[in-house]
Amino acid sequence: MAEPYLYLAPAVALLVVWTYRPLVQAAQLSTYSWNLLPTTPMVPVGTDNYRRLLELPAVGDSVWRTVVLIVGLLPFTLVLPVVVGFATRGVHGRARAIYQSLIFAPFLVAPVASAAVWQWLLDPGAGIVNRVLGSDTNWIHEPATAQWVILAITGWHFMGFAVLVVSAGMAGISGDYAEAAQVDGATRRQIDWWITLPLLSPTLVFLGLMTVLLSTQWTFPLIDTLTQGGPSQATTNIYYLLWDYGFHSFDAGLSAAAGIMLFAGFGLVAGVLVWISERISFHDD
Amino acid sequence: MTTSESAVPEPLWRRARGHVVLVAIALVCAFPIYWLLATSLRRPDDVGSLSPVPWPLSLGNYVDATEKVDVIRLLANTFAVSGVSAAGQLLVALLASYAFAMYSFRFQRLLYLAFVGTWLVPFQVTMLPNYVLLYQMGLINNLVGVIVPTLCSALGVLMLRQHMAGFPKELVAAAKLDGRSSWSILWTVVVPNLRPALAALSILLFINAWNEYFWPAVVLQRSNAVVQLGLRSFMGTEGNDWGPMMAVAGLACLPVFVLYVVLQRHIVNAFVRSGLK
Repeated sequence: MAEPYLYLAPAVALLVVWTYRPLVQAAQLSTYSWNLLPTTPMVPVGTDNYRRLLELPAVGDSVWRTVVLIVGLLPFTLVLPVVVGFATRGVHGRARAIYQSLIFAPFLVAPVASAAVWQWLLDPGAGIVNRVLGSDTNWIHEPATAQWVILAITGWHFMGFAVLVVSAGMAGISGDYAEAAQVDGATRRQIDWWITLPLLSPTLVFLGLMTVLLSTQWTFPLIDTLTQGGPSQATTNIYYLLWDYGFHSFDAGLSAAAGIMLFAGFGLVAGVLVWISERISFHDD
Repeated sequence: MTTSESAVPEPLWRRARGHVVLVAIALVCAFPIYWLLATSLRRPDDVGSLSPVPWPLSLGNYVDATEKVDVIRLLANTFAVSGVSAAGQLLVALLASYAFAMYSFRFQRLLYLAFVGTWLVPFQVTMLPNYVLLYQMGLINNLVGVIVPTLCSALGVLMLRQHMAGFPKELVAAAKLDGRSSWSILWTVVVPNLRPALAALSILLFINAWNEYFWPAVVLQRSNAVVQLGLRSFMGTEGNDWGPMMAVAGLACLPVFVLYVVLQRHIVNAFVRSGLK
């Protein structure tokens, strides 16, 4: 029976050519020294690229900045959406639909347009933020604030999505449990904490995965258009560093080695999150 | 919609608090978008104004922008790239999800995992080998090179497979008894019944393709053939021309916002559901 394979053929072929072949090639490339020019030969260097990665302080710094970014995004993608979800259960109908459409809108703004409008809002002289605050901080180009700007824009982008995912998750929880607990004399707070929240855990694990796997990648266009990794590397996270090694320093081997380490790290984080979710998730069925 | 509400009724003050929280968050979320549009619609001399309502309205910034970049060509290119990319992803995903939902075959689970696994491979890992391959194919600085690597959407396969799994098998079995081929069943039985899901997915794919930045930036390099890159060319570090820049940013968002205003509920549902597996 060849039929299912025929239907799958185009998708699998594309998957192999554009995802798994390059993954394997990146693994190979990571053991070579090469400057991306077709005319220069690739020199095999064994594990040198990995050794350099571990020794370069820039790599450790950028990984640390990525971790800070992920942790900094959790309030936007997990904490606030859950708080908002609980605080707004009583709001229904047309009003809710209007609020939701406004809250979701930033998720649809193109990243470069987001970067453009935030650059305008935060302009040191003419921007509305400084004129309202009466300050002259150059938010985007000062090392102390640049990373926070990237974090705030990314949080602004993803929060509406997370709020809607949480409220959809809460809407999907059967009221029978709360009702039964109420009959048993549980307070509202106890119901929220011991019934609703655990039943929401699959949604929360999903949002956690999204934060780790997607939202930090979304910072790339912001960084590329606003700061180019600066000032003094303050916004260079691991994604931007990979790009920088590949297309600015033309160090293909180093970039590929960093990419493979990133892939391994991702696999580990995703595996741990899925494992945790299987241990702690309470399924509503 | 929410059964939990009926179990634990909400007192008035809780509802009022809910409204306050939502209004505050909605204002914070919507303000930058409003400011983008408001700035772009001011007269070029008023761009720095802080008045909340842009008045008198003017299209001067848009006219200035068209003098600096070929806005029409950028939008047309972006439409073409996003449209072809979304249509291609839809077709490829439709065929693949049909195989997953309607058959059981060897390596099914493994192949399915291969699709799910793409979430773990960041773009930045595959960019160098893909760049080299496109270079060898002569597709660098070519719009085709932007489209081709995006054509397999794991998200699309996963979403459609789920919709098809809930599809009444009796209909398919009946069509099979009529002696119809699986190809004709796909197009005459499955697709017509899947129209809402296909529409939602195609909008989602189009919006994602329209907003894509990373891959066009790699393939098109310093040429600015799509609107996201055209907007980037306005963003110098010093002395920005804010009016035209906001005008181009507005145009870069316009098609997506038009879709959003017309199809608001469907778009929200499509995105949120894509998140709920």
